[in-house]
Amino acid sequence: MSNYEYHKPQTVKEAIGLMESLENAKYIAGGTDVIVLVKQEKLAPANLVSLRNISELVYIDTKDGLKLGAGVTHSAIANNEFIRKRYSALADAAGAVGSKQIRNVATMGGNICNAAPSADTACPLLVLDAKIVIDGKAGKREVPIDDFFLGPNKVALNAGELVTGFVLPDLGSNTGSAYIKHARRQAMDLPIIGIAARAAIKIDGNEAVCRDSFVAGNDISQTIKRLEDERLVFEDVRIAMGVVAPRPVRAKKAEEAIKGKIISEKLLKEIGEIAASESQPRDSIRGEAWYRREMVKVLTGRAILRSIGRIVGPEQMTNPNRLW
Amino acid sequence: MDNLLHVGKNIPRTAETDKVTGRAVYMDEYKRPGMLHGKILYSRYAHARIKSINTEKAKNLPGVRAVITGYDIPDVRVGFLGDQTVLKRDLVRQFRDEVAAVAAITPEIAEEALKLIEVEYEPLPAIFDPLEAMKPDAPLVHETDARGRPLRSNILPLPWKFNAGDVEKARQESAYTATDSVNTPWINQCCMGTSGCVAEFDSNNNLMFCSQTNVIFGAKQRIQTYLLNIGLKGKKIRVINPTVGGSFGTKLDTDIYEFICIQLALKTRKPVRIRFTREEEFMALPPRQTARFTIEQGCDKNGLLTFRKVEAILDNGAYTSWGATTPSVMMLPISSMYRVPNVSFQATCVYTNNIYSQAMRGYGNPQAAFAVETSMDHLAETAGIDAAEFRMINRNHPGDVTPMGLKITTCPLEQCITAVKEKIKWDEKRGKRNGRGVGMASLIHVAGGARVYLSDGTGIRIKVNESGEVDVLSGSTDQGQGSPTVIAQIVAEATGFKPEDVNIVFGDTALGLWDAGTHASRHTFVAGNAAVRAGEKVKQQILELAVQYIPKMVKRSLKQQKKKNPDFVEPELDYTLIDSPEKLDLRNRMIFPKAAPDHPHFKTEVGKILTSGLHVGTGESKAVVAEVFWDPPTEMLNAEMKGNYSCTYAFGAAGVEVEVDRQTGEVKILKLVSAHDVGRAINPSLVKGQIYGAAYIGVGYGLTERVQLVDGKVVNPNFRDYKILTANDAIPVEAVIIEDPDPAGPYGAKGIGEPGLVPTAPAIANAVYDAIGVRIKDLPITPEKVLAALKAKEG
Ligand SMILES: Cc1cc2nc3c(=O)[nH]c(=O)nc-3n(C[C@H](O)[C@H](O)[C@H](O)COP(=O)(O)OP(=O)(O)OC[C@H]3O[C@@H](n4cnc5c(N)ncnc54)[C@H](O)[C@@H]3O)c2cc1C
Repeated sequence: MSNYEYHKPQTVKEAIGLMESLENAKYIAGGTDVIVLVKQEKLAPANLVSLRNISELVYIDTKDGLKLGAGVTHSAIANNEFIRKRYSALADAAGAVGSKQIRNVATMGGNICNAAPSADTACPLLVLDAKIVIDGKAGKREVPIDDFFLGPNKVALNAGELVTGFVLPDLGSNTGSAYIKHARRQAMDLPIIGIAARAAIKIDGNEAVCRDSFVAGNDISQTIKRLEDERLVFEDVRIAMGVVAPRPVRAKKAEEAIKGKIISEKLLKEIGEIAASESQPRDSIRGEAWYRREMVKVLTGRAILRSIGRIVGPEQMTNPNRLW
Repeated sequence: MDNLLHVGKNIPRTAETDKVTGRAVYMDEYKRPGMLHGKILYSRYAHARIKSINTEKAKNLPGVRAVITGYDIPDVRVGFLGDQTVLKRDLVRQFRDEVAAVAAITPEIAEEALKLIEVEYEPLPAIFDPLEAMKPDAPLVHETDARGRPLRSNILPLPWKFNAGDVEKARQESAYTATDSVNTPWINQCCMGTSGCVAEFDSNNNLMFCSQTNVIFGAKQRIQTYLLNIGLKGKKIRVINPTVGGSFGTKLDTDIYEFICIQLALKTRKPVRIRFTREEEFMALPPRQTARFTIEQGCDKNGLLTFRKVEAILDNGAYTSWGATTPSVMMLPISSMYRVPNVSFQATCVYTNNIYSQAMRGYGNPQAAFAVETSMDHLAETAGIDAAEFRMINRNHPGDVTPMGLKITTCPLEQCITAVKEKIKWDEKRGKRNGRGVGMASLIHVAGGARVYLSDGTGIRIKVNESGEVDVLSGSTDQGQGSPTVIAQIVAEATGFKPEDVNIVFGDTALGLWDAGTHASRHTFVAGNAAVRAGEKVKQQILELAVQYIPKMVKRSLKQQKKKNPDFVEPELDYTLIDSPEKLDLRNRMIFPKAAPDHPHFKTEVGKILTSGLHVGTGESKAVVAEVFWDPPTEMLNAEMKGNYSCTYAFGAAGVEVEVDRQTGEVKILKLVSAHDVGRAINPSLVKGQIYGAAYIGVGYGLTERVQLVDGKVVNPNFRDYKILTANDAIPVEAVIIEDPDPAGPYGAKGIGEPGLVPTAPAIANAVYDAIGVRIKDLPITPEKVLAALKAKEG
């Protein structure tokens, strides 16, 4: 195991300065990726620049959309009422990371900058149109998240730059979102695949009917049928998939295909098929490609449906473990 | 047996506070002055010739004290069939083959040194599929046997063949038959405490070996043989246990790392510790054996089983440890689960270049039970009989002698099945095929010891100190299951002391009497029996002292009272109430006459008697101490694999309700009921702990766990990719304790360490079938397998 110097800057400026002056240096936030890599000897930094003492990286600002500091932990996100209601997909994902111990120290910034194809919060940020706020010696800039991921563990950061936070637009109250982590166990697991969806809908009629259909019960076909009868129309939809490509990706064809259509079981199935055609999963010890593709087909529809559930009944936090 | 004061009570475990507060001395905390740290270099190939090893650079690393290879130590064979050496010289036959080892002043330096060892290999063709390896022209994993005689095949020369009755004839006469092929995976025991040991020689080459073994005398014997073979004759060996963080089978055999540690200690003349990382634990410690079964069963038109025919192929891996002997326990359910008159069983163990296997909780039983119970459901359906009813019809009865020669004594299997049916709401929920389903499976296991060695005995020595602490010296071990608490309860009951008076000394060959090992669910039964017997002797000795001293003490006290108060009228006391030990009893530290338990003058605190007995002046006096060596009345298996090898057998049943997501293939357990025949629960909450823990391992076996090997290499050597269940995966388990005290058990108790694991996985598989109509015969039941099977069924 390598020996490294540990630096504790108090401000972003100081951190950037240290990064500039130190040899073979690496930022460390919660350390839940960095330390693992160091132990596995996949990383041998001479200097670790800790972001943990920089208070300006820790904020959750809910005025005008949502602004998050890079140093916010997964626990803070998962437990935030506002995020759970209005940016539910992100809360779903943050709450599903690792275990409580991990969530208490691991940060959003670390999850996104580590850029694993399986990073849980990546898909939600993709469907929520997040922008990454970056600071460095050349100054501040913002990058849409879709342009930020370059490949496995590769992001669009220049040397010494750091992510200070995330900006998410206000998506209005007719929008809901959800993230489904499809894993083999309830904690300490990486997803076989992850699917996030965001749906904005137009309801030509009585909102209460929709709500009742969700709260009413288990038979999902019936729920969809009732929503179909209500002529529920998709205004805008985002779908993002994790672990099906070298980086988390949007299913843009599927998003296009669903726009303006009325919900039906058939439609959700078609959208799942299109999304699956946009995925390029591989066989690995963690899952087989055919199965991952099948799960894209199944879970895309479920994530969309769960998103709708959140619009029509946000106070119910329609988040049952199983819809089927 | 009524009126028990301590047996049957939920006394909290005694040693656990130290564990949870970090005081307990596990292997990591066991430190010796000047101790060095050992690390092992493993093979980079599944099969290769070692062309050269260069250790120069490693030796020159500051802090390194020794680097050894197979050329630095005697070429001595070890292991169950003597088919391997400690460090491999010429050939490596699996990825975990130990090629070199380092001792250094820190583990980090030792690790660093490993990287500086240069090994040149010439890769050889390797064989990973046991079916391929069985073919006549397959390349040989071993060219010769332990004695250098040439081998012609990869099939091990082991006698696993069993026949009873006439299977062929029975098949022809059967109304229904069912044939299935089932597979079970390698799984890791996943002890919380990883493997490790500390070896330390004194200047006369006597060895102090701190080991996690649960067979301290067996380990001592193996090490003694090894030392003898390397030229160290007549050396004293003392094996001690630190606090052990779980065994589950891993501490049964003496592993190669332990011999390496001994070699490093010899070479450096310093204490050396080897401690596995979790990755090593996954890739360099033998897991539960993988097995493939073909099972055929038949029944008559009334549903009575007519025959059972099982063939098993076991991937032995490159060498042989206890994994190859698991068929001796597979035989239990195969020959004796349910009444079945005609049975044949054959197990073939085959060398491959995969990792080799060893024991795990349940030994061969969970594997074989998966085959038997899968087939039971299949046959029941073929015969048109409800699966629970089918089991009930064929259940074992008290007094049965099974085809293997097992003599069934107590057998509340009927109650177990009934309890499961009731609690899982069998009649209401079975057969719906609506994505929800219920399934069940039963078990039989040894519960009164298991005569796998010539002796299946345990010695217990109990001494009572002058103020009344009771020291129990035993050659058994505790690997975390709570045995000290249970033995303390038994000793308190038998001696008349309180559990908190009892001090248990386990895991030290210098202090304990010989014991066959804390394995095969035998400890409570065998050590418990020895403890009851020794405890009764102790009590007898104390009561004899009481007869001698109580009258003296009473008289002295009366005289003193008279002296203080001349008006004091001495009572007329009937001293015949206490004139023989039979008339006295000792309970909860109080000695009293049986005829007058609350006698104001004769009722005496035991401590007073003990002091009086010891402190009598010069010359010999009486210290209270007794010992018993007890070996259950059982038989070793004969050449036909028959014999009553346990004193009693445990039965049980598990019922599971599942919900299957037909689109994702996920199986969710809604409820698990595990009903077990425990004879008598000495400590019900500890019994439940054993049932819960075993059930959870069973769920992992059923749904998520497998050691994944790709071309012989473990590719998931960590808890991220090895899917043991987490606390968040908690499922509702209802443990049902069925008490039917066994005449041979200590206070009626049977062993319960392993049973809970056995029926869990097959019950899950049967529930999945009930839910969706597809039978998964290949563990674990992953979502992929379920979905693929559903798609295949839909066409
Ligand atoms: C047991 C365990 C379970 C896990 N389970 C999951 C899981 O379920 N899902 C999941 O997605 N992940 C999981 N992870 C991975 C990890 O916890 C997450 O990726 C986490 O969000 C990383 O955050 P961190 O603050 O610990 O990052 P760190 O390890 O500190 O950093 C990660 C990377 O990001 C860089 N970095 C950190 N902050 C910044 C910044 N502000 N600007 C620029 N670069 C930065 C670091 O240099 C490093 O390259 C798990 C890890 C462990 C150990």
